[in-house]
Order: sequence, then structure tokens, then C-alpha cells
Amino acid sequence: MKTLYVEGDTFLHRLSPRAKLLGLAALSLVLFLIHSPAVLSVAALLGGIVYSSLRLGWRQSWLRLRPILLTIAIVAIFTLILNGREDALIVVTRLTALALFAATVTATTSTGDFIDEITRLAMPLERLGLVRAADIGLAIGLVIRFVPEILSRYQAIRDAHRARGLKVRPLTVAVPLIILTLKNADEIAAAIDARGIRAQK
Amino acid sequence: MDIRFEQAEARFEGRTVVHPLTLSLSERRIGVIGLNGSGKTTFARMINGLVLPATGQVTVNGFDTVKDGDKVRGQAGFIFQNPQNQIILPILKEDIALGLKSKKLSKAETQAAVEAVLARFGIAHLADRRVHELSGGELQLAALASVLVTRPDILIMDEPTNQLDLRNRDLVERTIHGLDENVVVISHDLGLITDFDRVLCFHEGRLADDGAPAEVIARYRELAA
Ligand SMILES: Nc1ncnc2c1ncn2[C@@H]1O[C@H](COP(=O)(O)OP(=O)(O)OP(=O)(O)O)[C@@H](O)[C@H]1O
Ligand SMILES: [Mg+2]
Repeated sequence: MKTLYVEGDTFLHRLSPRAKLLGLAALSLVLFLIHSPAVLSVAALLGGIVYSSLRLGWRQSWLRLRPILLTIAIVAIFTLILNGREDALIVVTRLTALALFAATVTATTSTGDFIDEITRLAMPLERLGLVRAADIGLAIGLVIRFVPEILSRYQAIRDAHRARGLKVRPLTVAVPLIILTLKNADEIAAAIDARGIRAQK
Repeated sequence: MDIRFEQAEARFEGRTVVHPLTLSLSERRIGVIGLNGSGKTTFARMINGLVLPATGQVTVNGFDTVKDGDKVRGQAGFIFQNPQNQIILPILKEDIALGLKSKKLSKAETQAAVEAVLARFGIAHLADRRVHELSGGELQLAALASVLVTRPDILIMDEPTNQLDLRNRDLVERTIHGLDENVVVISHDLGLITDFDRVLCFHEGRLADDGAPAEVIARYRELAA
């Protein structure tokens, strides 16, 4: 997982993150209430038009959308086998529309803005004394930041096995990975303290 | 800068790692040397309250690390041995802005401060890059920017030139020498600290030597031999 944000100044970039997130939530609700393949196809087509207005080019678009489109294809194949053609068509058009609109939102909202918005939306929870809203935003930022790091560490451990002719077993990979990750987590926590990011106000 | 240790001791799980230490630091550039495991990192972490004294007291510009941890950390910035873990958000400029959150600046002020600090370290072109993809030297400069943007009085660095190639080491060294802030630098790279104002040498958890760089480094070479 990498950040999928694209620098730009389109109308969608300038739209507030809140409007985009709430809009996306409303849209997905509507998409799941609609069962007409024709209407859903139009929605998917609209999604395609909005997404292509970002002008990412075919290659970039394909790279970004490939994982989700593959997932949709797999779901569609199972639906086709289990429920028939009509349902499969509904699934494909509905999920494609959703994926395209969601991809547009991620491409036009920077991680910083996204975190700020989540933090603001979590404020009511803070007022109830359940959490510190800023922590939720920070947690999301940390996940986006460190998932690639953990993946590359996984690859390093796997390579180390191969280099020494050891068989890659889930256990022998998982244990060092977990230990390294926990050690890192300690350091990251110390860094958060040292930089005064969670300093009490 | 005014760092004081009063019989301050650090322990991990009952084991003393830094023996009771009384010391006062006010020179602008201080180097810390010593063998692996001698307690340098622990000593540095005691300064900004990441490690609290088991007995005794540590104060920084008058703030006690136990009672006023947040204030101490506002005075003393820290660059970790592994800068990778210090950058918390995925995009560099967003990470640097994160450190300013508690200052409650306007969006424009934050942006101006971020741009200024990136320019100061010659990494304005990295502003929008993913942190995950930066090289070791770039990460070290990014870590410097992320800490100095909050304008601490003192900067503590734990082996800042470790793991860098020759070119990046030169770059980071020159950057450190050009800093206006007070610095405390832990280093195995003795060249980095030869022109500092004072050098401390740790050995087996005790301050074994303290004085002008040339003499302390010479005695350290004998000790290590
Ligand atoms: N979190 C910890 N828990 C337990 N023991 C620790 C911890 N941190 C450090 N130590 C121990 O304290 C001693 C001093 O470690 P420290 O990291 O301060 O040494 P150092 O001088 O920085 O060494 P190096 O040059 O290798 O970085 C070592 O014996 C180490 O094992
Ligand atoms: Mg150390």
C-alpha cells in the first residue's frame, strides 16, 4: 500500500475532504440499494468519466486500479457460477462504480487532509471521553506510513531464508517479523514522544 | 543551554546501565564517545526524558525531565540512531507539519515553516516524496528538518553519520557544523567531533573522561586498543 494521492488543482482537489468522504458514503449506500444493471452501468460509466478527468493516463490508471479490479473479477466469477449472469452483472457494475469513485476520492485527498478530517469526525467520541480524536488520525497515518516498511521487512526476511538455503515456513518468517516490528514500534512510540506530537495541551 | 545531571542513574530491569552521574553541560557543541554498550544512547535519552532517572535528577534549561517531560522535549530535539522510525507520516511535508500541530499555527504559517525548514537543509525537492522511498542520507536530512522545525534550543543526535556513504556523510557533517542550535552528538565517527567544544567518553556506564576533544579522543584510542 502506498499513498495514492496525486498532486493537482482540479475541482475535486479543492472540494473539502469532508464533502468527498460523506459523498462517497452516501453514494455507496445508494449503489447497494439499486438493483438495475442498466442504472448501475450508467453509474460505472460516470465513475469512469470522473476518474479519467484526473488525467492519470492509461498506464498509471491501470497500475492503481489493477488490485481492486482483479478482486472484482474474482467476486464476479464466483457470483456467475453460484448465482447466474444477472447477479454477476450487478456485482461487476456496482463494485466497479464504487471502486472508481473511491479511487477518485483517494487520488484527490492528501493523507494530511484525510487525517485532519477523520480527526474532526472523531471529535464527538472525544467529547464522550472515549478516545483522543487526534490519536485516531495519527493511527491511520502510521498505518499508511509503516505498512510498506513492514512489507519490505517481510521480503528481507524471506530473502535471508533463501540466501541461506532455508525453506520459507510461515513460522520461521512470522517470528522474526513480529519481533522486528515490535522493536520498531517501541522506537516509533519514543519518536512520537520525542517530537512532542502527543504532548498534553 | 543548561543541562544538569544530579546523581542521576539509569536502570533497566534492575540492572544499572548509567551509574549515578553528576554533570553540567553548557558548551554549544558536545561530543559523546565510547565503546558499544557503554551507555551513550541511554545517557542521551536521559537528557530529553525518554529514559527517566531511577534515582537522582536531570534538568534541561530548568525543567525537570520527570515533572516537565513535555517542556523538556520542547527544549531538546532528538535524532534517533535509526531516522527511519522517526518520520511518522507517509509524505515528507505532511510529517514535518505534524510536529507543528501543537503550536496551533494557521495553515499558511505551517506551510511557510515547512517550506523554510526544507529549504534550510536543501531538500525542498523532497517535499512531496514518499518517506518510504528516501535514501539514507535523505532520511537523515528529513529527520533533522522534522525535529528542527519546532525550533528546539538543543539538538541531540545519536550517530547521525552511521550507515551513510562517503558523500552523504560529508553532507550531514557539513550540515551539523553549520547548525546554530546547541548540539549533543553521539558518534563513532571521531572526525565529526574533533572541533567540538567538549567531549565526554563513557565506559561501562560511567563517565570515564571529559574535556577537550584532542585529549579525550587520544585517551579513548588507548582505552579501545
Ligand atoms: N531498553 C533497554 N532494555 C534493557 N537494556 C537496555 C535497553 N537499552 C539499553 N540497554 C542496555 O544498556 C546498555 C547500554 O546501552 P546503550 O544503548 O546506552 O549503549 P551505547 O553506548 O549507545 O552503545 P552503541 O554504541 O552500541 O549504540 C547495554 O548493555 C544495553 O544492552
Ligand atoms: Mg547507541
